[in-house]
Amino acid sequence: MSATRIVITGMGAVTGFGFEWQTLWEKMLGAEHCVRPWQPQDLQDNEFPVRYAAPVDMTLLPGHLQNHPAWTLPLEKRSRFGWVAASQAVADSGLNPGQLREAAVLCASGAPQHMLADMLLTQAPDGAAPDWQHLMARAAEVSAEGSLRQANDRLARVIADDLGCEGPVINISSACAGASQAIGNAFRMIRRGEVDVAVAGGADSVLNLDTMAALYLLGAASGEQRWGADLCRPFDRDRSGLIAGEGGGFVVLESLEHALARGATPYAEVLGYGSSLDAYKVTAPQPEGRGAALAMQAALDDAGLQPQQIDLINAHGTSTPLNDVAETLAIKQVFGRHKHFQTLAVSANKSQFGHLIAAAGAPECIVTALACLNDLVTPTVNLHEADERCDLDYCAGQAVSRRVDYALSNSFGFGGLNTSLALGKYREHGQ
Amino acid sequence: MNRPLYINAAAVLNAAGSECADLLGTPPVPQPLTFDLQRKALALPVPRLASDLFDRKIQRSVEPQGLRLLHCAARLAPALAALQLPAARIALTAAIPEVDAPSPCWDAVQAILEQPHKQLSQLLANTPPLHALTLLNSSVMAYVAEALNCHGPMGGFCSQDNAGLDALIEACQQIAERHADAALVVSSSPNLTPALYLREPDLADEPVYGEGAAALLLSSKPLQDATQVLRVAGFARGYSADPQRTLAVGKRVIERALSKEKLCVGDVANLVANPADRQLMSLFESTPQCLRSVSAMTGELGASGLLTEVAMTLHHSREAGAVPGYTLLVSHGRAGHWGALLLASENLEKYA
Repeated sequence: MSATRIVITGMGAVTGFGFEWQTLWEKMLGAEHCVRPWQPQDLQDNEFPVRYAAPVDMTLLPGHLQNHPAWTLPLEKRSRFGWVAASQAVADSGLNPGQLREAAVLCASGAPQHMLADMLLTQAPDGAAPDWQHLMARAAEVSAEGSLRQANDRLARVIADDLGCEGPVINISSACAGASQAIGNAFRMIRRGEVDVAVAGGADSVLNLDTMAALYLLGAASGEQRWGADLCRPFDRDRSGLIAGEGGGFVVLESLEHALARGATPYAEVLGYGSSLDAYKVTAPQPEGRGAALAMQAALDDAGLQPQQIDLINAHGTSTPLNDVAETLAIKQVFGRHKHFQTLAVSANKSQFGHLIAAAGAPECIVTALACLNDLVTPTVNLHEADERCDLDYCAGQAVSRRVDYALSNSFGFGGLNTSLALGKYREHGQ
Repeated sequence: MNRPLYINAAAVLNAAGSECADLLGTPPVPQPLTFDLQRKALALPVPRLASDLFDRKIQRSVEPQGLRLLHCAARLAPALAALQLPAARIALTAAIPEVDAPSPCWDAVQAILEQPHKQLSQLLANTPPLHALTLLNSSVMAYVAEALNCHGPMGGFCSQDNAGLDALIEACQQIAERHADAALVVSSSPNLTPALYLREPDLADEPVYGEGAAALLLSSKPLQDATQVLRVAGFARGYSADPQRTLAVGKRVIERALSKEKLCVGDVANLVANPADRQLMSLFESTPQCLRSVSAMTGELGASGLLTEVAMTLHHSREAGAVPGYTLLVSHGRAGHWGALLLASENLEKYA
């Protein structure tokens, strides 16, 4: 690999905790979570079987973001969150428009939001079967903010247009591995010299009737009510499924040379990226964690790191019965030498701000970078009694102060699409 | 790139047929859309999947755009198997079209229309569990990986017309940087649905859309008995939605794609580009290349358009009497994406 070093110089995150990464970090270190009672807006009765989620709370919108154009243009919710997160990341980086002109934008934005009201426009006036012909005849009534009007790469383009970026503008589609793929692809683009700067991340919201109904029917989303808002319990024996969050996260990546030339201070260094395919079943992870292990090993190889150098794994940790066991097994495979898995820290952010689906890897990468910067590991909350097959140090309950020189951030997508990012503490003179 | 990259095999499916030779025939006549008789397009019947590779329930639960992609991927299975590579050395990248819209879950829509006061119960009772997989459009990647035994690196892309190039570049990089030794690159056009027309309602010159798919097999080594090879020699991409800037970006993208081989536009024998794109063609006004495009045969294929053109370039390179030389493929999406791909058709002796 070339000697080009790639660093994170800007970060932006929109989650249920708020609209700034500083708030996210502070709340997470305080072992808080932002899961709360939730029902789809379209329903009047409190009858939807999924009762909890981690939605973005618009009352937390800070004054300086209230006039952001994302809130007024016709956009899907995911695009609004993503645009704001990307703007925050770029502002955080201190890059000016001239420095962004040849930058790349890479973005994962998940599935489009189907509007039930749009679908009902297919209704025939004479009661005949619904038909797209009727919808086309009533095209003027179609929502400007739903899937019929919004192309899937809308967010990537709106960010590029706003920032004036003329480099590659890429929309990623790899389910819950999407944002991690976006950051990994951006890292490699800079390393091989395709661009010097990239704005990469993702945004998503599945908190709508259509998508959540599908996730519930598939058995992925938890309808558990026993634990109230504390039901996201990664690695716990009482975990029952994913708890959806919404929002977005973006990082600004630069070659170190570019960053230092303009006087920027890196948060952390991106060292490697790996991906793999389970090739097992579309609805379940490979039970021994084969694909997850391949992705982690690929990230280590790409970074030139040995497994025993890793201090922290920011786990995918979905709180689903299958993922958490398979991921634990994968960690044991990769970090088996000298039983290093017994000493490394494993943390699952989804217990704190939910599962951001396609965007999940972005705020989790930010949290991993901050762990490297501050030598602090955020906790896995709601983990009270670990599944007997989940026997690693998951940093249950409270933040941990420990040295973090190197860390992995895992994101595993539905259908067995796996990614892992290798990050390291930024050092002036290299790793 | 520190490793040669060869395009060894290709499969296509479009209104002209399922073989590249079909693209040399008479253009099919666009037909009126069932949901809008004023508009014409080149639609395809839903293909049947090979039952020895795919579970039968996939045929029932995957949208037509996904089935087209799987149909093409399956046809590359023998060429992939012939490479005899470990599964972890095979990458899979995909240019996945937008999810079908409106929602394909028509049973639920109909049930809600009949009993609107029972919206939730009708939705839950009439939505098949696998509907979630149609929302997660990358699920087709999982089906390909499972059927063709790909465990290596992956990448899914959905950037409209440029997604095919994004997927191809990612596959090239995975091989060039030795993360994989071969890669399947799969793509499909979006289904012909209202969304295709409603997303850009003010388009002055609306194209004739087509349904189709294309898949390529890339490897670091040429096919065993090949006498001619098609090598990936350069690529670049960029973006501008600004009318004042777009030509400068397009020009820069083309120059970058040619730069690795130290070429200028005049050195390229064949140009593949949409002749109806006046902005794009203005970049080639003074050059005498042979201009090719299969878009009249296929309709506009979106995410699978570029890979269909690559498949056709491979076909031409293997024709009797084919002359070695460079082919430059340039794409320019209406949204503002630019892409350029340089392919070199060469006699194998050069590498013997």
